Amino acid sequence: MVKNALFIKALRDMAKSKAQFISIFVMAVLAVSIVTGLDCIWKTIEVKSEQMYAATNFSDIWITVPNPSEKELRAVSRISGVERVEKRFTANADTDLEGAPVLKVYTVSDQKTLDVPMLQEGGLRSDGGAILDADFAKRRGLRTGDRISIKLNKKWMSFTTEGLAYSSEQINLSKGSAGAMPNHYNFGFIFIREEALKGAYGIKVYNQICVKLLPGADARRVQLEIDRALGDKLIGMTAREDSSSGNSVRAFIQQFKTLSAVFPLIFFLVTALITQSTMIRLVEKQRGEIGVLKALGYSKNSILWHYTSYGLYTGLLGAAVGFLIGPRLFGGVLVPRLTLNFPDYSLSINYVNFIFSLILILLCTGGVSFYACYRLLNETPAALLRDKPPKEGGRIFLERFTGIWERMRFSSKLIARNTVKNKMRLAMSVLGITGCAGLVVGAFGLNNMISGISRQVYGNIYLYEQKILLDGKVDSRWVSNKRIDAVVQEIKETSMEIICPDGTMVMKPMTVITDYSPLVALKDDASRPVQLSDSGVAVTRKLAETLKLSLGDEIQIKRSNNSYVSVTVDRIFYMPASQGLFMKDTLYEAIGETFTPSALLVKWNGQRDEEFLKSDAVKETVDVKVQIANMDSLTNVVLIAATMMILMGAVLAFVVLYNSSILNYTERIRDLATLRVLGFHQREIRALVLTENIISVLLGMIFGVPLGKALLDVVAGTLDDRMDLIGRITLSNVLISGCLTLVFALVVNVFVARKMKNLDMLDALKSVE
Amino acid sequence: MSFITFRNITREYHVGDSVIKAVDGISFSLEKGTFNVVLGQSGAGKTTVLNLIGGMDSPTGGSIVVDGQEISNLSQQGLTEYRRNKIGFVFQFYNLVPNLTVLENVQLAQEICRCPLDPRDVITKVGLEHRMSNFPSQLSGGEQQRVSIARALAKNPQILLCDEPTGALDSETGSMVLKLIQDVARDLEKTVVIVTHNVIIAELAENVIHMRDGKIREIVRNPSPKSAGDIRW
Repeated sequence: MVKNALFIKALRDMAKSKAQFISIFVMAVLAVSIVTGLDCIWKTIEVKSEQMYAATNFSDIWITVPNPSEKELRAVSRISGVERVEKRFTANADTDLEGAPVLKVYTVSDQKTLDVPMLQEGGLRSDGGAILDADFAKRRGLRTGDRISIKLNKKWMSFTTEGLAYSSEQINLSKGSAGAMPNHYNFGFIFIREEALKGAYGIKVYNQICVKLLPGADARRVQLEIDRALGDKLIGMTAREDSSSGNSVRAFIQQFKTLSAVFPLIFFLVTALITQSTMIRLVEKQRGEIGVLKALGYSKNSILWHYTSYGLYTGLLGAAVGFLIGPRLFGGVLVPRLTLNFPDYSLSINYVNFIFSLILILLCTGGVSFYACYRLLNETPAALLRDKPPKEGGRIFLERFTGIWERMRFSSKLIARNTVKNKMRLAMSVLGITGCAGLVVGAFGLNNMISGISRQVYGNIYLYEQKILLDGKVDSRWVSNKRIDAVVQEIKETSMEIICPDGTMVMKPMTVITDYSPLVALKDDASRPVQLSDSGVAVTRKLAETLKLSLGDEIQIKRSNNSYVSVTVDRIFYMPASQGLFMKDTLYEAIGETFTPSALLVKWNGQRDEEFLKSDAVKETVDVKVQIANMDSLTNVVLIAATMMILMGAVLAFVVLYNSSILNYTERIRDLATLRVLGFHQREIRALVLTENIISVLLGMIFGVPLGKALLDVVAGTLDDRMDLIGRITLSNVLISGCLTLVFALVVNVFVARKMKNLDMLDALKSVE
Repeated sequence: MSFITFRNITREYHVGDSVIKAVDGISFSLEKGTFNVVLGQSGAGKTTVLNLIGGMDSPTGGSIVVDGQEISNLSQQGLTEYRRNKIGFVFQFYNLVPNLTVLENVQLAQEICRCPLDPRDVITKVGLEHRMSNFPSQLSGGEQQRVSIARALAKNPQILLCDEPTGALDSETGSMVLKLIQDVARDLEKTVVIVTHNVIIAELAENVIHMRDGKIREIVRNPSPKSAGDIRW
């Protein structure tokens, strides 16, 4: 009964200050929905990929070896940490479908247990059957029972689609070539039986060893031992972490972990601030009532609980709503746009972090309310029942400059004193605005940082308009004989094993360029040009950082004859997207390798040389526009997340501004009503209140910029290891977010002004509450 | 010619479906420079009369002419202008701006009107020259009310409206405040209207308007009002 009365009191009090409690609620919703929303994205990726890895018995290492022998298989399987070793065949094959899409062929057999397809429908029953990429089939309108022909070893073979499946290796579509990024219309995969290869090759052939490791085995160590065991026969080796799918899965998880760890913090902080100012005001206003409750004999604890419950209920409700909408909003929008191929996009929720954010939000609401009430409770009922002495007006620093002070109008004096006196409220609005300005500035910075990557790479470093991939069998003389009417630059893109001074052994992309380099312009992080030397290699800044390399360090490079040669790192340059090494062809030749271009970078003089593009040596061409689009599509999802963050930052700004303006108004209703009676015009009073808002907006903006920069730096550093991101806040970012916040301030001012119209002068006549 | 004229004034409030007549068809007129009291119990409609004279409220029927100006049909803007230049208001609870010093509180009023008095002179007139730079919270109730009077006078208004000016003060301080009002009004030739339920204060007035249930019961003319120094309650 008694509890009920207090509960009803709590509800009525909250209804009375509904603007404040709605603000707290909205903040709690935002905070929890961002945490659960961003968390559910990486959690979903993690759960889905783990499910697929388990269902397909996904390998840990793939070794490319032509026709692996039993002896070689045994050698690999004897390495400690290796659980299972199998061989298979894989290659890209042309198809007879419209537009000649390419299918990645994988073989399976009855003995094969690793890297099996994750069946959605049907199954592989006969040697003439195949299991087709489910997404590819969907895009192409293919069903089980449909026939499909592929060309391997220049022979066409026809298969009946007996099943549809997903593959762990194609969670992120990867063709395994440097060309255009595949999509499900022009690329897919197909599983066929080993026996079927006899149709093309006469015998069963293999070109890859799949290795499954025991749990806990170190893939890097095993890779080194495989390298030693296989020697010359080894062509290439990829660990799951480095594979296209493993890599993008990991990168996305990391990206969203970063975003979900950095951005929501501000929302929690602001929730705490708003609750703090609301509850302190409410509790102060209810001094007398607290005194009455105490005098009636309510225990300290029940009064504490009563006031704590205000924040707690609001926080709980907010967390519940946030939990309901967060995953749907963020996960629902972003997960399908991840360009990851999962059988379904059902969301997984990270309950651990939800519980954590729930506790955090309850601390920010209930905990803060508890504290606000706690301070008052130690006073005696008698003291509480007495009117609190009115807050003293105090002198402020500015008054020491009598000259200025004397000349100020009273309204400026009032604003100055009022601002200084209500430091708490000022701090709240400034901090709130700082938070949201920081958020908006940071998100804008993130936006141009991410969207700037492709322009930086393909407009500032690489200057070609088309990249032509060659078969690697032609040399420079062949290229010059073709007399292509274009600016042409030959490059060789390969990957090389390097050993760092501290013993770390890694495979890294190596680009070899010629001295004549009109289309590749390497730059340092301050955009100054970097010229390669004849005697050393250049390393990207981020790679140098990860491998702890500095200028002058000697690294060992593995040559194609498997011996090592020592070279000096004598240049470090900046490359935002893919990290690797560069060297000049002269050095490449000097260490005993032959420079044959793997690709031509071309800037056409008008017409494209179609005849040349049809040469046998030309494997594939890709337009820089396509490459830009490909790169953008990888970061697209982060951009959407950034945009959502900007929107949420905007809501945050709005709530904070509204709250502090309303507080600034309601706390002074009596003063303002008095001024009305004295004959002040609406606009003069509005100016009094609204000037304070503008002051806090401006202060908040000033502090918001460094906060935004700090946020951006954290994100830039952790977003993606493959990228070297430099967060820059441009003047236009600052101006746009400044204008945005000012617009909010003005809109809020309109709201408050509307409320002020109803200012009742008769309030001035009432006694002090 | 009368300075303040109420002609058949009605003020109705709508509360839900019912209509409450706070003031019901009252008429009276007051001369310039007189000292007047509106007397009545709470709910008698005296505060409504004060609000109507003060331009804080408009009647729903009838006409109010102050200094030859019809004010019953003024817009919000017009009423603000009217309050600004013609009315000096003394509140029951002083209503000083806590953030401003005594001098600044007076300057607050002086800054917005056409022909203000010098704030320092006015403060001296109410005897608070030594408190000029104190904040309201550092003053006693009587002192605060004197500041409130100084603030009202600084605007050099034609009418000094006082809402229970002694309501929050003890008898002795109250009579000092009343004496001050009486003296300055006489000196500066202000028309004073005091709203109160205190019968004793009525003894100071030249005209006493007795109100009950929104109607004027009687208007008593008092040819020889007492001096504030002579009354006690």
